[in-house]
Amino acid sequence: MSTIRQQLASPLQLLVLATAGIILLPLGYVTAQALSADPAVWRRLWATRIPELLFNTVSLAASVSIFTLILGVSTAWLITRVEFPGRKLWEGALVLPLAMPTYVLAYVFSYLLGFGGPVEHLWQLVAGPQARIFSPHSFWGATIVMALDTFPFVYLLSRSALLSMNVSFEEVARASGVSRLSTLWRVTLPLMRPSIAAGIALVILYVVSDFGAVSLLRYQTLTYAVFQQMTGRSDNTAASILSLLLVVLALIFLITERWFRQRSRFYQTTGRYRAPQRHRYGWLGALAVTGYLGLIVGAAFIIPASLLIQWSLSPEAQATIDSRFFGFIWNSGILAACAATGGVLIGLPLAYLASRRPTLLNLSCLQAAYAGYVLPGPVAALAVLVLFTTLAPAVYGSALILIVAYVIHFLPAGLQSLEPALQQMSPNLEEVARSLGLGMRDTWRRVTLPLVRNGFVVAWVLMFLQTMKELPATLLLRPVGFDTLAIRVWMEASEEYYQLAAPSALLIVLLSLPALALLVSKDWRAA
Amino acid sequence: MSFVCSLSTLYRTFLVSLLPLFIAGTCAPSVPAADTLTIYSGRSERLIKPVFDAFTANTGIQIQLLSSGTTELVNRLKAEGDRTSADLFITNDAGSLELARTAGLLRPLNMREIDRAIPSQFRAPDNAWVGLSGRFWIVVYNRTMVQPDQVISLLDLADPKWKGKIAIPNSGSEYLQAGVSVIRATYGDEKTRQFLQGIKTNADNQVYQKSSQIVDAVAKGQVPLGIVNHYYIYRHLAAQPDAPIAALMPDQQEGGMGAIMNVAGIGIIKSTKHLDSAKLLVEFLVAQAGQKLFAELDKEYPLHQDVKTDPALVDRKNFRAALVPLTKLAELREPTLTLIEQVGLR
Repeated sequence: MSTIRQQLASPLQLLVLATAGIILLPLGYVTAQALSADPAVWRRLWATRIPELLFNTVSLAASVSIFTLILGVSTAWLITRVEFPGRKLWEGALVLPLAMPTYVLAYVFSYLLGFGGPVEHLWQLVAGPQARIFSPHSFWGATIVMALDTFPFVYLLSRSALLSMNVSFEEVARASGVSRLSTLWRVTLPLMRPSIAAGIALVILYVVSDFGAVSLLRYQTLTYAVFQQMTGRSDNTAASILSLLLVVLALIFLITERWFRQRSRFYQTTGRYRAPQRHRYGWLGALAVTGYLGLIVGAAFIIPASLLIQWSLSPEAQATIDSRFFGFIWNSGILAACAATGGVLIGLPLAYLASRRPTLLNLSCLQAAYAGYVLPGPVAALAVLVLFTTLAPAVYGSALILIVAYVIHFLPAGLQSLEPALQQMSPNLEEVARSLGLGMRDTWRRVTLPLVRNGFVVAWVLMFLQTMKELPATLLLRPVGFDTLAIRVWMEASEEYYQLAAPSALLIVLLSLPALALLVSKDWRAA
Repeated sequence: MSFVCSLSTLYRTFLVSLLPLFIAGTCAPSVPAADTLTIYSGRSERLIKPVFDAFTANTGIQIQLLSSGTTELVNRLKAEGDRTSADLFITNDAGSLELARTAGLLRPLNMREIDRAIPSQFRAPDNAWVGLSGRFWIVVYNRTMVQPDQVISLLDLADPKWKGKIAIPNSGSEYLQAGVSVIRATYGDEKTRQFLQGIKTNADNQVYQKSSQIVDAVAKGQVPLGIVNHYYIYRHLAAQPDAPIAALMPDQQEGGMGAIMNVAGIGIIKSTKHLDSAKLLVEFLVAQAGQKLFAELDKEYPLHQDVKTDPALVDRKNFRAALVPLTKLAELREPTLTLIEQVGLR
């Protein structure tokens, strides 16, 4: 038993330590700047901006998590436990919003719900010509957009949990006379808790560090304020102070999530022998389920995507499709692939050591890796820029610096799936393999790797998707001539040139689709 | 140990597959050749690219454009120092150019073409930056909702009667900062503070990232009044002649401050390796042909005396500009930002 633990040789430990150190440098830079700031700046910010920004950020995160919890868990449960026509189709369709960047959804919704927009026209038919709907540039606008965009995180992780769960637990409960609803409440949901918590944590971190949607919807959060401070002022003291608050805030969320997960650590004692039985609904039930799913997928993907197609076909948009445009595509794809691969390479040792040798040091290293995500894109970007110009000026101006920022920024997204994958696999399996005479290398190749492969694939795909959609760090760090599709969408959409932004936006969505197909394919689900 | 070995084998496989991608990624954008100029631009790409395209058509010199926020680019130039790949810096605000000059980022120029074309109040004393086009920070109003005599001065917009009725740019926009600087220099801090407090309350959440959005909101009737750079109004009208909007030139009353003026300008980066090409571009932009493009495409006021303003615009002779020199915008900026922050403008 102890052989494996001992043989996790120290080079790996050193690698993990070094990685954590590198990830922590930007955070250290920001903290140092914030703490060395003139107290007068702190006082001024407290008196003017901070209370409003804190309140806005926390309330948005709270409302989005409630919405995503309801949307994500309910859809996952319907897909895995109910049989209805077209189920397989919906199973895939529910992931589609992940291909839709928040700023694309935000700009489509600011058109749809905007002043004099189509939804308002519809409403005026009902409520009279003077009627107004709520503005998308508000708390509720930001909530709707963020929730529709991020609920698939909760859906995916809940669905994984429901699929890999040993159905015997539920069957025992049912056989003991517990009602179906009560089984769901007392057995299924508690078993799903680690996955749900992980999903919600991902959503919250996403909301807290989002820049694209809140800036287009003009909803003031800490991250948006940081970007405004950085781009509007010549010194970034105030930006550092706001960033430090943001990091503290996100750390609180992270620790809460950890605490929940610690309380419910389950090992899968046996493999799943068969698929859980799906409850068959009558036509009315099936219709209701289809309507519910259709509403969600329609609002989060189908309507926005159709609008993007329609706009892309307009003559104004067609005129922008030239050789330059293909350069943007190349830039986006290559950056995202590099960042995702780098993220998996760096994340794996961190997650592995933290799960197999959960010493204080290893757990701290893992937690350190999460800091990158809560360091908002713009600040991570600036910190990386300053570090590189000091330490390695030669690589400055290359795409490398941008990739480093991406990896630091999106590693947590990958870790969120690497970690549960390693955690769910009982260390016993490796130990049994070793005790039966398999070498370390073979154990890794034949036992560990196949079992964690799903987690790897999900991690890579999530990081690829998020990198391709990334905006603030790209804006600040892109080398000359390295505009990405995301930059193009942003430039046009921020001036409300909906048609001109559409081809790039549509392409981001299209490029994300093969990656998403991988996510829902059998390949990674069966295990 | 063997575990680490297998892990490193795995890594090697990953890295080998990654390498070609990475090399392609870093080398794909063509390395700027001798006849390519790299320009950091704080101006909207839509407004400036046609002008550069005309230059490329004339000279064969290619332009690599990095479009971003003005202050952001100044920060970037400072961070990059001598290693920057930028040859020129073009922006929408004289204050930012002057800040770049005082930070030693720009190269003084001794060119007769500049002295002849651009009046001295629109450029740095050493020609390290040169103004290219003039713009005024004025009021746009919806003709169906507001009468033009209801607003005389920009300061009127702070009046509680306009609560919920004005749209303003966010506090990071350089022309808002420049505008507030001019108001401070004219009326002092206390009056400026009251003005900012007033427009903050009146605008509420109608705080926009871009002037074009403000003009759009006013044209749709979402909000009756807005503060914008003049050319966004005329560009909107050129595209949609029926839009119910008009420009209002504020502060023209007896003893009034005059309309707030700023210039878009250009400077050559000190460390440039393409000085001759860069000078050629500056020469092109200040000459009549270049100035015409700013006037006709962008609806700005050309600074070259012999180039005519677009006839749709208010004739430059018919209104007064505020008397604060452009070079002063740089030193006014820091206290202005402090004031803006104290008021808590978004």
